[in-house]
Amino acid sequence: MNDAMVQHLIGLSSDMAIMSLLALSAYLLLLVGRVSFGQQAFFGLGAYASGILSAMFHAPLLLALGFGMMFGALCSWLLAMPTMTLSGLHYAVATLAFGEMARIVLSGWQWQVSSPDGPVGPAGIEGFRDIRWLLEHDITPAHFLGLTLAILALVLVVLMRTERTRLGVALRMTGQDDTLAATQGIDVSQVRLFAAAVAGALAALGGGLYAHRTTYIEPALFDPMLGVHAVGYALLGGLGTALGPLVGVMFDLGLLDATHLFSGWRMVVFGGLLALFLRWRPRGLLDEQLVHWLSQTLKWKVRA
Amino acid sequence: MTDLLQLVVDGLIDGGAYALIGLGLSLTFGSLRRLNLAYGATAMLAAYLGAWLYATQQAPAWLVAVTVIVAATLIGWYVERLCFACTTQDATQARGAPVAGADGREVVALASSFAIWMQLEQLAVNLLPRHLNAFPSLAVSQDWQLGELMVRPDRMGLAVMAAALTLGLAAWLERSRIGLSWRASADHRIAAHLVGMPVERLQTVGFAAACALSGLAAFSILSLDGQVTPMFGMWALLKGLVAAMLGGLGSVRGVLWGGLLLGLVESLAQASFGAQGREFASYALLFVVLVAPWRRSRERFLATAVPG
Repeated sequence: MNDAMVQHLIGLSSDMAIMSLLALSAYLLLLVGRVSFGQQAFFGLGAYASGILSAMFHAPLLLALGFGMMFGALCSWLLAMPTMTLSGLHYAVATLAFGEMARIVLSGWQWQVSSPDGPVGPAGIEGFRDIRWLLEHDITPAHFLGLTLAILALVLVVLMRTERTRLGVALRMTGQDDTLAATQGIDVSQVRLFAAAVAGALAALGGGLYAHRTTYIEPALFDPMLGVHAVGYALLGGLGTALGPLVGVMFDLGLLDATHLFSGWRMVVFGGLLALFLRWRPRGLLDEQLVHWLSQTLKWKVRA
Repeated sequence: MTDLLQLVVDGLIDGGAYALIGLGLSLTFGSLRRLNLAYGATAMLAAYLGAWLYATQQAPAWLVAVTVIVAATLIGWYVERLCFACTTQDATQARGAPVAGADGREVVALASSFAIWMQLEQLAVNLLPRHLNAFPSLAVSQDWQLGELMVRPDRMGLAVMAAALTLGLAAWLERSRIGLSWRASADHRIAAHLVGMPVERLQTVGFAAACALSGLAAFSILSLDGQVTPMFGMWALLKGLVAAMLGGLGSVRGVLWGGLLLGLVESLAQASFGAQGREFASYALLFVVLVAPWRRSRERFLATAVPG
């Protein structure tokens, strides 16, 4: 393998890890029975928030990412307050409207501070350039990939541990039948608000990582296509486990996009396959049944 | 004062186009209780086929119009078979809230129609890769002078057509036998099936007819611009969705009022805040209508109102 290829692989893996975070945020909301077409907004808001902190105020990367996460969680929670009581379809449309509103506000927003290399900051539709924290601190793409993967692994561990807790059960119960869950004493709206806040934080975390990886962001990047892809990945990979969204991302970005299989006809093939696939497996590849079967089989193997 | 009046008139005329786009979307929702995300892409691929015919065969405008409408119908049929046919089989709930919660099937219909959206859009772009594509133009450049107001006659004609079509369709669905059976099968699938209605076929035909309307809307709107771009699919879906949502998704007459309101708000916002303000206002309007406190009573009203 030559050097260019290694660099390409490192970049691709970072992209896949970042996209996985966004897909996980869509997954969390799908788990509580809501489709959001607005997760790209929190991705974008997180990217802007953490970029502002590191590029304009020279904060360390982890602090900037943490700030972006908090900001994303806050915005998502505020959005969920009035919208979570809506029915599923109305919620989906409301999040779509919110996502577009956020994008338009970002494309009209100017706030720059001077620096030795000229003004830095969000410049409306021109975007936000020079988020150069990684370059200034000599962090190579490989190191950044390590950081991203570590964050993703941490998120996955937390999510998969939660599955076994009362909270995890409450999340799934809310998603499968909210009336029944409410009769079992689960505060359905609180569970959904919580899921929305965490989903916003995850999307914003992905956005923060994305902003630092590419050093340049613009509002047009955060269009509904991004958010809808995230939902698509989560549904394709499966809602049975937090690993599902990763499978979806790997299939699309890793297999179809990266190998240039079908080149110009990629979406024709992927779209048709996805629709056909969902016809027979409405909860994705790794759905609850398969996950259950797998875990039973593995347990049996270990015992034998 | 005249300026304001002019803005209102322009807005209402634009609103006619939005109503026309939203009509098919609302009809689909009225019968299936499912949102067809591939709606805009269906209209776009059909329009691209028309534009391709126009560019390569120098087809006359009427032939392009027929092509667009027929193509939209066929594509709609394909979308229905792939994304919606199976998802309604177990939608056994009686008339309840106009929108069921995000049950698994609803999510799947959203996701798979989105996947088909991507597919159709890519097909269209592969057919005509350029960003701007010529479309037969029926625009009239001469303005009508009505007192101090200026009115574009072609746009005016489109708005009148949209209003007539919407009101006519609503009346037809209310009065005719076909309309009655369509409403009955939308209302309660099982009951309609028990009294001998071909529910499956009614829904397929209704879906394809709604897509034919999208083709008609696409042709009428694009022929005023004389061009078609890859942005059209997204534009049609979003404007149609806002118009249909404002009027109460599923209601046929409501689309007209929703479209007019959207056009009016956009026109006023554009005059006050420019192009970005226009975009923002349409989404803000949608958002406010969705989360407004008077929704509860409206939903109860819709739950008891017949679609149509």
